[in-house]
Amino acid sequence: MKKILSALFLLALGTGIAFSQAKKPTLMVVPSDAWCNTNGYMMEFDNQGTTVKIPNYKKAFQENPDLLLVISKINGIMAERGFPLKNMESAIKSLEQTAAEDAMMTSKETGAEAAESPVDKLKAIAKADIIMQLTWTVNVTGPKKSVTFNLQGLDAYTDKQIASASGTGAPSFSSELPVLLEEAVLSHMDNFSNSLQNHFDDMFANGREVIIRIKVWDDWGEDLESTFGPDDEELGVLIEDWLADNTVNGRFSTTDATATMMLFEQVRIPLYYERNGSQRAMDTRRYVKDLSDYLANQLSIPNKLTTQGLGRATIYLGGK
Amino acid sequence: MTKTVKFAFAAGLLMMMSTMLNAQAGRKADKDTEEWRYEIECAGTGAEGTYLIKVWSFSKKPQVAMEQCKKNAVHGVVFKGFGGGQGCTSQKPLARSTNADEQFERYFENFFADGGSYMKYVSLTSQGTGTEKVKVSKKEYKVGVVVTVQKDLLRRDLENAGIIKGLSSGF
Repeated sequence: MKKILSALFLLALGTGIAFSQAKKPTLMVVPSDAWCNTNGYMMEFDNQGTTVKIPNYKKAFQENPDLLLVISKINGIMAERGFPLKNMESAIKSLEQTAAEDAMMTSKETGAEAAESPVDKLKAIAKADIIMQLTWTVNVTGPKKSVTFNLQGLDAYTDKQIASASGTGAPSFSSELPVLLEEAVLSHMDNFSNSLQNHFDDMFANGREVIIRIKVWDDWGEDLESTFGPDDEELGVLIEDWLADNTVNGRFSTTDATATMMLFEQVRIPLYYERNGSQRAMDTRRYVKDLSDYLANQLSIPNKLTTQGLGRATIYLGGK
Repeated sequence: MTKTVKFAFAAGLLMMMSTMLNAQAGRKADKDTEEWRYEIECAGTGAEGTYLIKVWSFSKKPQVAMEQCKKNAVHGVVFKGFGGGQGCTSQKPLARSTNADEQFERYFENFFADGGSYMKYVSLTSQGTGTEKVKVSKKEYKVGVVVTVQKDLLRRDLENAGIIKGLSSGF
């Protein structure tokens, strides 16, 4: 009986370890602002006297078949590598559909509408953890044409360029633009995937890089310079100590620290955590929840935790 | 009758010697491959999932060098990568570890053996046309052949064999 129980325990442990995989980042190809501007897919609006230009992605997808071709090719290649991408055009359509449904939805019993805060509205945009920013330009020299292709992998949270592939293809007298674009994608995707793989290797070795912000509600009555804990240490220092103890190899940078805010960048969080004897994938929300619990339970500071995707979290101190 | 036997014996001996010499040239060519003695360059953009490359191999016998080009092409794509220029894009090797050839020695011994599974991934693009042959010394030829390597299939098979890591492994 003892042996059977041990075997079952080992099997459960093995299964737990086998299924513990890191959270997979989502990737999406987005045409760059420069490309949208060059090709006339920009919207202009007046922001308190200043003219602001923003890309009109919907128009670009509806009017430019070359863009669809390039994105479709990139999506196909990445899917073949076991990394299917989010399709931006579909994401925009889904958002519109969801917004329309939410606007029509009312409670059967009370007629109430679904609650939506201004922040919820702000967050309802097509997003991914890694943006693949796409730019190409067509170079014409006499009768010859060539394509300069640039694909940048940008971490949506740390704003770092984590992968890239760029270059100019061979000039051609006869090839049409779609053919040149297809060649450009085929030539550069392996290099892009290689640099993305380097980023993932670094992540598995040193943890996921995220950003954590600490803010203070203005009606709290305390701030990050107030002293807490048995040794009466400044709250800012206590938070830094917690991060030093709980990041991979104690790696993080305190980019900004004032009495009312702290910004931690290059925070390396582990990819897994243990719960009920099995390993589970860690994300920023799960990680920062531990800091939030530490502040609430050990320092008696009520706080509110908000997150942005896999890589950015903010704790507001002084209340929910 | 005696003359016929002598002739048959001489012919047999010649055939045996020729086979031995070919085998010796083949072994030398394999050694060259192991010692990275071949050149690989981009020959254009291949169809989806393939690399179009030109490989230069060395041998006393042009035919041996030409055959060795196929082996060298796959070897180069796995371990060496190739440079770009003139509209071509340089590509890194599929094996990211610098000592993958030593780490998985047994696997690659079988893989690159004569008639080994490397043959599955490579084909001559032009069956001789476009092949270049240069006599580099009294005893040696340098032969350049344009080949197509099925790099997506090769990468997938190496991933399945646990030789290289896939982009989505760990997630």
